[in-house]
Amino acid sequence: MPKVTYVDHEGRASAVEVELGDNVMHGAVYNGIDGITGECGGGLSCATCHCYVDEDWVETVGGPSSQAEEELLEAVAAELRPGSRLCCQIEMTPALDGLVVHMPEHQF
Amino acid sequence: MPIDAAHPVPPNLPRHVGMDQIPDHVPADLVRQSGLTVGPEFLAAPHDFMAALHHKQPPIYYDVSPMGNMWHLTKHEDALFGLRHPDIFSNEGATPFPRDPNDYFYFIPIEIDPPHHRKYRNIVDPVFSPKGVLKLEELIRRRSNDLIDAIEAKAAAGGTCEFTEDFGRPLPVSVFLDIMGLPQAMRDTFVAWAMELLHSNDRAIMGQAMAKITTYLKDAIAEKKAAPDDGVVSLIAHAEPDGVPLSDKEIFGFVCFLFIGGLDTVFATLNNIWLWLAQNPEQRQEIIDRPEDIDRIVEELLRRWSVTFSGRVLDQDFEMRGVQMKKGDRVTFILPACNFDPEVFPDPMTVDFDRPRKTILAFTVGVHSCMGGHLARLEVKIALQEWLKRVPNFDLQPGTRIEYRPGGVIGPEAVPLVW
Repeated sequence: MPKVTYVDHEGRASAVEVELGDNVMHGAVYNGIDGITGECGGGLSCATCHCYVDEDWVETVGGPSSQAEEELLEAVAAELRPGSRLCCQIEMTPALDGLVVHMPEHQF
Repeated sequence: MPIDAAHPVPPNLPRHVGMDQIPDHVPADLVRQSGLTVGPEFLAAPHDFMAALHHKQPPIYYDVSPMGNMWHLTKHEDALFGLRHPDIFSNEGATPFPRDPNDYFYFIPIEIDPPHHRKYRNIVDPVFSPKGVLKLEELIRRRSNDLIDAIEAKAAAGGTCEFTEDFGRPLPVSVFLDIMGLPQAMRDTFVAWAMELLHSNDRAIMGQAMAKITTYLKDAIAEKKAAPDDGVVSLIAHAEPDGVPLSDKEIFGFVCFLFIGGLDTVFATLNNIWLWLAQNPEQRQEIIDRPEDIDRIVEELLRRWSVTFSGRVLDQDFEMRGVQMKKGDRVTFILPACNFDPEVFPDPMTVDFDRPRKTILAFTVGVHSCMGGHLARLEVKIALQEWLKRVPNFDLQPGTRIEYRPGGVIGPEAVPLVW
């Protein structure tokens, strides 16, 4: 199973396995990783699964996958940066094995 | 305070009802009898009533009502804050359905605050995730078309369509029963029980309904325990989070809560939307003309036609906007009013499918966000697509006077349609 590493705002990293086809928000929530809230469960309505895709991965992951994600990113609580994504919208593919995402200090 | 869901005890929280039971710390100038959910002005046009709260009432006021006295909060910002701080605004004891004190149980997961809450959500979230509910798409389309077939047959035979009974009610209830693994033959009985519990506004009738629901669900759980299937009742009955099976109290409280949450809300949402569609032919046509925008259309309709509230109990003294609230006070976030907050949604009563996406409160926010939200979105979307494909033009029956149901889920009593 592909691995994702979540790095919190103080630099602590946790690596977990996330099933192919599942999303990066679930990987955090189901494994008890604080820092990703994902309160709406992936419905593009809460903006609480904000992450910064590591710069080495930005190209592979790509930008927002829909206009709705782009609009909702405007509502995130922490600073918006070039690698900002709502990670419920990042679906695991073989190409993302080893993905690193950084988590903001707060989600709301 | 963490609670033990396997050994539930009734909360010892004071219930205040009426003008002579206003706690001393509530300033007299914040006391209102707003009439929310029960007054004639509310029942005549509930969404207009809730939008008007923004200019008629302060953003936080103390409402005195036959259903119980509590703080009402109407600002979008305050709801986001309160609902995202379960340590301050607790769900324990905040659910208003009566239970037998000698056989008490918690509604799971809504009455369980973090950290235990996630354990329960993880059991069912995959079923109700955006991807999980997509498996139901064909089934929902088929059920929608079956219902429209029946309506057309009835119309051809000279009958008329009453939307709430012919479509709004049977669609979500049938889908829910399928997901849960419960028999379709129980559909109308389930609806009747839910009506008594949610709309009677009478604690005695609510208690009787709860007793009937309890008996039925306990039998259903026993059956699923003996003979597992792929429905959600069975999934919960056989769940073993961290290797530990759920207790009987937990299983019952979980299934019972899904019953209450799942039956009535989509029903009311569809009824509200179809009433609006019947009266707004131009925007109905806009929906037909913009098939690629269906998701944002659904989101805007859910903002405009939210149907329920979030209740909490203060777990500590807390001050907001200069208002001092005390531990034990009950609080209701008026979610539809929050969706009409003009500071967040300018010109809030206008349905505008091109509104920039913002956090809507139709499904609340925070850890207790509605787990059925994705299912609800999918049902509304498919219902719109299938109905408008077959019945693009329709009107309210001339002379119809719309009446709303009192209670915690807001929707019109009947929506007779002609075309």
